[in-house]
Amino acid sequence: MAGKIQSLTEEERTHLLPLLRNAQWVEVVGRDAIYKEFVFKDFNQAFGFMSRVALQAEKMDHHPEWFNVYNKVQITLSTHDCGGLSQRDITMATFIDQASMM
Amino acid sequence: MEGEETARAAMPRPSRLTSLQEQMIWALLESGLSRDVLVQALGELEQDRTSASAEKGERGDGESSEEGEMDFPPPIFRDLEKLSPEEAAKLRVEVDQLLQEDPWHVAKIVKSYMQQHNLPQREVVESTGLNQSHLSQHLNKGTPMKNQKRASLYSWYVKKQGEISQQFTNAKHGIASLDEQEEVKKGRRNRFKWGPASLQILFHAYERQKNPSKEEREGLVEECNRAECIQRGVSPSQLAGLGSNLVTEVRVYNWFANRRKEEAFRHKLALDTPFTNQSASSSNLNLSSPDHGSTLTRFRQAGVKYSQQILCDTMSSARGSGGERVGRLVVSPVQLEPSHTLLETHNHKPVSSSGPLPPVSTLTSLHSLSSSSASSQSLIMASLPSVMSLGESSLLIGLASTQPQAVPIINNVGGGFTTLQPISFQQQLQASSQLPISHLQSHMCASPFMATMTQLPCHMYSKSDSPQYHTSSLLSQTMVITDGSSLGNLTSLSTVRPILTEDPEEQTDPNLQEESLHLQPHTPVPAASSQSLELYPASQTTDSHQSHLLSPSPTDISSYIPTQMVSTAQ
Repeated sequence: MAGKIQSLTEEERTHLLPLLRNAQWVEVVGRDAIYKEFVFKDFNQAFGFMSRVALQAEKMDHHPEWFNVYNKVQITLSTHDCGGLSQRDITMATFIDQASMM
Repeated sequence: MEGEETARAAMPRPSRLTSLQEQMIWALLESGLSRDVLVQALGELEQDRTSASAEKGERGDGESSEEGEMDFPPPIFRDLEKLSPEEAAKLRVEVDQLLQEDPWHVAKIVKSYMQQHNLPQREVVESTGLNQSHLSQHLNKGTPMKNQKRASLYSWYVKKQGEISQQFTNAKHGIASLDEQEEVKKGRRNRFKWGPASLQILFHAYERQKNPSKEEREGLVEECNRAECIQRGVSPSQLAGLGSNLVTEVRVYNWFANRRKEEAFRHKLALDTPFTNQSASSSNLNLSSPDHGSTLTRFRQAGVKYSQQILCDTMSSARGSGGERVGRLVVSPVQLEPSHTLLETHNHKPVSSSGPLPPVSTLTSLHSLSSSSASSQSLIMASLPSVMSLGESSLLIGLASTQPQAVPIINNVGGGFTTLQPISFQQQLQASSQLPISHLQSHMCASPFMATMTQLPCHMYSKSDSPQYHTSSLLSQTMVITDGSSLGNLTSLSTVRPILTEDPEEQTDPNLQEESLHLQPHTPVPAASSQSLELYPASQTTDSHQSHLLSPSPTDISSYIPTQMVSTAQ
């Protein structure tokens, strides 16, 4: 891979994580990752949302860990290459929030 | 993609979409697809799927017409869809322009671009679906190519130009999105290839010193990358644009190691094959002794036969007897020796055997020589080992000014530009049997090698170990166990080992975590591998992966450690 992905610096964390926390992203215990649960009206909406996220994930080459039951989607974001959070996770989180608004 | 399928199924009945289908289409549109691109893609995919069997019949007819049918929309068209519509339109315009021009002219442009950026043909073939042989012939010889195929080639070309310029501009930001797309497709980045500019630099350095220290290697890395950027016409500070052809310290280290291995092996081959050409040289020997005592002593280290060979050469070629000059002459006659034997004994047989250009390593070419020609050739090999590498470097270095003296069998690591010269020189050799003058000429570049010549015999013996690759430890370590070739891994493995030996039975997660975490401050590993240490516990902390790592670790690591540790010891 060209250019090793850097984990978020402390400065970035103090800057960015509060914003995500406000958006109901939670830090996972025991692991450097963020988590959020989405609930939709029905399965179609949930799956449509997942499709949007999936296409974006392919574009970014950064895939979330997620679980889906009918209208609920649980998403955990972390970067495997650096073993923790990175800028990609932040970008993905904001995109996910946007996609879930529709 | 499921989305496309359901959307496609929906096409005939646009008003009766299920809500999931709507969501899918909406998702697709949101991902950057424009309506037009989507419709076009649908059309292509439908054609492709419904006419799969019919295509085989069409292919036969299609070939005869100018605009043959594309069997399958090449992957490159799928890539186009991913772009924004304006970009896709721009690309099409450029491709059309290229299609209007003379195909041979454009082929030359594309070919030179590929050479400049060291792009493998394989990449083009994969993304355009063209036949590699056809592509190669079209680019190199101008074999005609149908318009549709040329269109896909030019699309790739235009797109690649965009990618590469993006790579260069994004170098500072470290964004490599397109690289990753490619990586996702191929699974791994394109294979690294040394550019001619870098090779020149490396051969220069190799002559100076066969075993550069880390600092020297780093210097070479900088030099090579600068040269590669310059060759591509880009500012030297934008390294990431080189992509898979970025020169790193590891690569430089490996290159030097491989050259040393080659030399050692050549020398080994030379010692193995029996010498039989001594009767011819013995008469010459009588003339030699007083003048060439100094040279004799030097080469005695390499073995009596070796020096005999040299003397033979010296005598047959040198007219003057200045010690220094003889010293120089020794080099080139040795190099030219094959020509002598060629003329004397086998006329052109060895020449023809060395005609076909050998593959990368000299070793294979030597092998073919030794097997194909009589043992008189073996003497060549005896003298050549020490000279071979010099010959290579002389090939590259002396290119501009002097004739390369190297025997054609000298390996063509340098790439295309070395191949032509030996052949032409060969013809010269055949023409003239007395070569003192050309010897003298060529000595100008041979002389610097004399110093190294003497060191060589010792070098070959002391540095014949297989080099283990040190890495700069920046390899990612998702699974420590599977990637066994980096020093970073080794040290992390070695630090893990105490854990395992202490607590062979304990495989519980927290214990291992604690142990490895404890190790971090204590173990005196270099900074590089401590980085890897951090990764290891970090990767351990992921619950899903832990069982992965733990269960194989006790058994496999112990088997890994001994082998790896042994081989790194030099």
